[in-house]
Parts: sequence; C-alpha cells; structure tokens
Amino acid sequence: MRTDSKPRRVWQWGDVRQRKVGTWAYALNRITGLGLVLYLYIHLGVLSMLVGGPAAWDPFIKVVRSPLFYTLDVILIAGWLIHGLNGLRVTLTGIGLALGAQKALFVGLMVVAAIGLIIMAFMVFRS
Amino acid sequence: METQMDNAAARVPAASWAWIWQAITGLGLVVLLALHMVAQHFVAEGGIRDYADVVAYLRNPLIVVLELLFLITVTAHALLGVRTVLFDLGLSDSAEKRVTQALWGVGVLTVGYGFWLTWVITR
Amino acid sequence: MSIQVSLKAFRYQAGSKPRFERYQVTVPDDANVIDVIEAVWSQHDRTLMFRHACHHASCGTCAVRLNGYEKLPCIVSVKEALAGREEMVIEPLRNFPLVGDLVVEVVSFFQKQAASGMVITREAEPSLDGQPYQRSEVFAEDGTLDDRPYNRFENCIECGICISACPTMSATDKFFGPAGLAAIHRAIQKTDDHRQKSWLLALADGEQGVWRCHSAFECTEACPQNVNPAEAIMALRRELIANKVKKLMRG
Repeated sequence: MRTDSKPRRVWQWGDVRQRKVGTWAYALNRITGLGLVLYLYIHLGVLSMLVGGPAAWDPFIKVVRSPLFYTLDVILIAGWLIHGLNGLRVTLTGIGLALGAQKALFVGLMVVAAIGLIIMAFMVFRS
Repeated sequence: METQMDNAAARVPAASWAWIWQAITGLGLVVLLALHMVAQHFVAEGGIRDYADVVAYLRNPLIVVLELLFLITVTAHALLGVRTVLFDLGLSDSAEKRVTQALWGVGVLTVGYGFWLTWVITR
Repeated sequence: MSIQVSLKAFRYQAGSKPRFERYQVTVPDDANVIDVIEAVWSQHDRTLMFRHACHHASCGTCAVRLNGYEKLPCIVSVKEALAGREEMVIEPLRNFPLVGDLVVEVVSFFQKQAASGMVITREAEPSLDGQPYQRSEVFAEDGTLDDRPYNRFENCIECGICISACPTMSATDKFFGPAGLAAIHRAIQKTDDHRQKSWLLALADGEQGVWRCHSAFECTEACPQNVNPAEAIMALRRELIANKVKKLMRG
C-alpha cells in the first residue's frame, strides 16, 4: 500500500494541469487570498511608522510615490479584484445559486476584474 | 428525548460557522474595502495622506468607526481563510482545535493593535 | 480496421519505485481504452494490475486517469484518447492509496457510502415485476419513492472519479467527499423517517461534511453519470442554513 507523499498531497490543489475552470478559480482564490493576508500584515506593520510622527511617516510617503510602488499597488488591486469578484461567485454558488452558470460566471467576473484593473492602474499611475 | 448526538452537537460549535462567517465578512468587505479605497485614495489630495492629513482624517469619529470595522472584518476574513488552508492539510482533531485557538489569538492581537494605533495617533 | 496504439502506463509494486512503462499494441480502430489496457495485459505484461468488469459504465470499477483527467476507460474511444497526441497516458486515480499499477484501495470510500445507507442502483432500469416505469411513477415531486416492488437505481456507480477530481480530498482523507455527500442527499430524499433525516443532515453538517467543499466543482465536471455532487452538496447547505435560521428565530 502506498499513498502519495504528504508534500505532494499538500500542494496538489495548485496543480491545475488537466483540470477545469473550477479548479483554476479555486487555486486563484487561494493564491490571491494568501497574498492578501501577507499584504494585510505588511500594511499593518508599515502603519506603525505613524507612531513616529511626521518625521517617520512623511519620508515614507515620498518613497511610496514611485513607479515601483505604483506597480506593487496595481498587483495588489489585481489581487483583491480577482479574490473579491470570484468570492462573490463562491458565495452564490456555495448555496446552490447559479450553479449551472458557474463557469460563465467566473469568466464574466474575471473580465470585469480585468476592466477594473486597467481603469485603476491608469488612476494609480496618473495620481 | 435527547440523544447523545444532540448533546454532542450542543457542546461543539457547528462546522458551518466558519463558512457562514467567511461569506458574511466577504460580502461586508466588498462594501468596506470599496469605502476604504475611496476614503483613502480619492478623497485625499494626491491619493495619499501625509502625517498631518492622517491625523485630520482620523478626527472624524465616523471615519474611525468605519476603519476599525474594516479592520475587524478583514482580519476575521483573512484568518478564517488561513484556517481553511491549514485544515486542508489533514490535521488531527486536536491540532485543528489548537489552530483555531491560535488564530483567534492572532485575530484579537491584530484588532487590538489597530485600536491602539488609532488611539496613539489621535490622542 | 485496426490501429496501432502507444500506451504509457503507470507501474508500481509494493517495495519498488513507481515508474512509467511504454507499450505498443494493435486494437480494432473502434476499440475503447479498456481494450488497449487488456491488450497490453494479454500480449505484453500479465503483471499489469487493473480493474475491469461490466465494460459499459455501470459498475464504476475501471476508473483511471487518462491523459491526466478522470475517465471510465470502458466508454472512451481510442480515437478520442489519442486526439492530437502520440500516445495515451494512463495513471491510477488521485487521492486513494495505491495497491499496485492502476489499482487503488477503496475501503474508506465505500465506508463513507455505507454511512448514509446508500445502495447502488440506477434510475432507468425496469422493475422487478417486469413492467416498465413511467417517470411519474418512479419519482414523486420531492424525490420519494413509489411503493411498487422494484429495485430502484441511482445514478452513482461509485467509481471514485469525483474523489480523484476533488482538490479538498488531496491532503485530507477525513473529508466525506462528493460521492459520500451526494449519497447523504439522496438518502435523505429516499426516507420519510424524520429521525433518519435529522441524523443524515447532522452527518452532512459535521466537521468533515459539506462545509469543507471549496466549490471547485470538479466532481460534477468529471462525473460520468450525472450525479452532480456539487448540486447535492449545495442543496444540503441550503437546508442546513435554513434550519439554523429557523432555530435562531425561535430563540
């Protein structure tokens, strides 16, 4: 008797080869979710600079107004657009609503996410 | 007549609470995140606040309530998500209990930190 | 007319490392994939372990992964399996312990099926008294059974394909799984006994029940028999949530 090794089984959800749209959506939600958790704690950590008053905070703000940070912001926006919109789909289908349309819903919502991303990326770089 | 199953169910929180709260906080975040983004990057001059602007922003009690509510909701949603990912590793029943307790701890500390930070800035 | 087929098959025996082996066989050009597996066994390597029985998707025994995706090889044509490819790749199902080659161990799977009291039967067969059924006779609106003497059939053939396709099943054997939860849903529909219904719902509501599903919907996608486990899982969730809301209101 042999089972797949535990490391293989732990990461198997991310192996989307030969899998269908539903797995893609699930893997995307998990990856963006974990990325957003990481961001949350980085963001909360960064906010601690406010304790140091304007001497600590204002220079940081200057650093943030840069193409590198704007790019990171756009990646962040992509993360919560994908996660949020797909999350709506997971909530709906998760109680059995629009189950038959789950694939179309995913594609449609990701199109909305892409459009939203383009608009917001434009706004970020313009600011 | 109560069975052993009824008693067991009464003692232990239902497995559904995690999913249900994940969904509720998720829906809440659709609104709260949108508000947070608008308040932080559209209302503020140039889309980002320097220290003086942050203090002025937090003078409004409605804003403080909004931001703290956002923090509680996002922390709950994030940690419920982490719990789901960890549970998918196939942990023992006791390990699952410990993970849940640990994440509650992290959540309380995170929200506590947010309250403290707000107080430090606005006092 | 015959066709030459290249097959890359997963091989494993206890005590040795898993590997892939390649075989060439000639089969009729209208053959199905199970015929290829059997040709390999009879002409090249009688140590090849695989399951087969009915050869027409009734028993669920032969389920494997074909070119990475879950299939019943008895109903997939060789032409379809080789579309756009040089060779077909056959591996055992995921998320089950391996016995050898293409054979997986299914004890815990059947234990979960048995937990809801499901008997394997199928929708479309004639009755034990020899008279065919009108659909209205077989299904009441709520899915309960009519009382003619018959051997009622369900869609699920317990092939395990949904288990292999399910991402939640990969790291945790404890999850009841799509087949098990769909079986609970059917068992609830099949009984009028309120205590039994409550017991079954509680089983679905447990730590390893419906709430572990992450909505990948791969089970419904891969199922060869239209069981639609995803729909069953979500229907159970709706009923459970409705009960909780009712309980909350009653205070």
